[in-house]
Amino acid sequence: MLMPLDQMTDVTDDALLILYANGDKAAARALTLRLTPRVLGFAARVLSDRAEAEDVAQEAMVRLWRMAPEWRQGEAKLTTWLYRVTANLCTDRLRKRRKSVTLDDAPEIEDAAPSVEQAMMAGDRMRALDAALAGLPERQRQAVVLRHIEGLGNDEIAGIMDIGVEAVESLTARGKRALAALLSGQRQQLGFEEG
Amino acid sequence: MHTDLNDLFAEARRTPSEPSPDLLARIMADAEDNMARPVTAPPAPVRSPWRFLGWLLGVSGASAGMASAAIAGVWVGFSQPDTVSRVTAAYWAVTSVEVIPTYDFLTDETQ
Repeated sequence: MLMPLDQMTDVTDDALLILYANGDKAAARALTLRLTPRVLGFAARVLSDRAEAEDVAQEAMVRLWRMAPEWRQGEAKLTTWLYRVTANLCTDRLRKRRKSVTLDDAPEIEDAAPSVEQAMMAGDRMRALDAALAGLPERQRQAVVLRHIEGLGNDEIAGIMDIGVEAVESLTARGKRALAALLSGQRQQLGFEEG
Repeated sequence: MHTDLNDLFAEARRTPSEPSPDLLARIMADAEDNMARPVTAPPAPVRSPWRFLGWLLGVSGASAGMASAAIAGVWVGFSQPDTVSRVTAAYWAVTSVEVIPTYDFLTDETQ
């Protein structure tokens, strides 16, 4: 299916959602093209599974379409709402995946190391980053992805994760330290100069 | 190492996840399924004063028209709108007409 480029770049997310709620198909297309990559990217890095991330992205967008008639312009940021829905869907998936074992208690850093090395061998820096992210506890991973890859502010992340700004700062700091530890032995493969 | 890590993050930001055409198609299909259907309003009732009067009198159809006309006639008769009053006044106006001329001029002493 060929999708035309988003022709409504000057229209806000809020306005597009209201247009969609009034039956505007072009607004739906613009929102799909604008928001799906963000939702998919976030879910893919949190879940480390492309197929599951696509399912989550689709489900998050379905919830967006269903919520559209009740959306109140200006009360909240649409992307914040959507990231929050996506984060909750990812949490549900991870909970089902690990069943009784909590991810935060698992010795993930050690477990993730072999997959990081495998990614290094393939020479794929992004795969190495994803493998290292997969080694973080879930909440740290969400915070790091939202802060450093999605580029959100701490206030917005706090709203998405339903925690305080200080907790966000703590999660991202610990997450970065853990990532650095995971990748520290791979500097040459990553192309980083010794220093 | 954090500087290197920041470089990796920057690289990740520059390479966003591209959704497959199939995923985009599924999401658009969901959007259309959940799109508000245009609401078809029921036809507006005909606003006829005669029908309204009929409704007041508790009758409908042709009976409503006849009853309404009867009420309107009675109302016109009693209230006598200004226009009607002027017409009837003009029609029934009594003016004195001298059918037989007087002969006063014969006895007029001045002549």
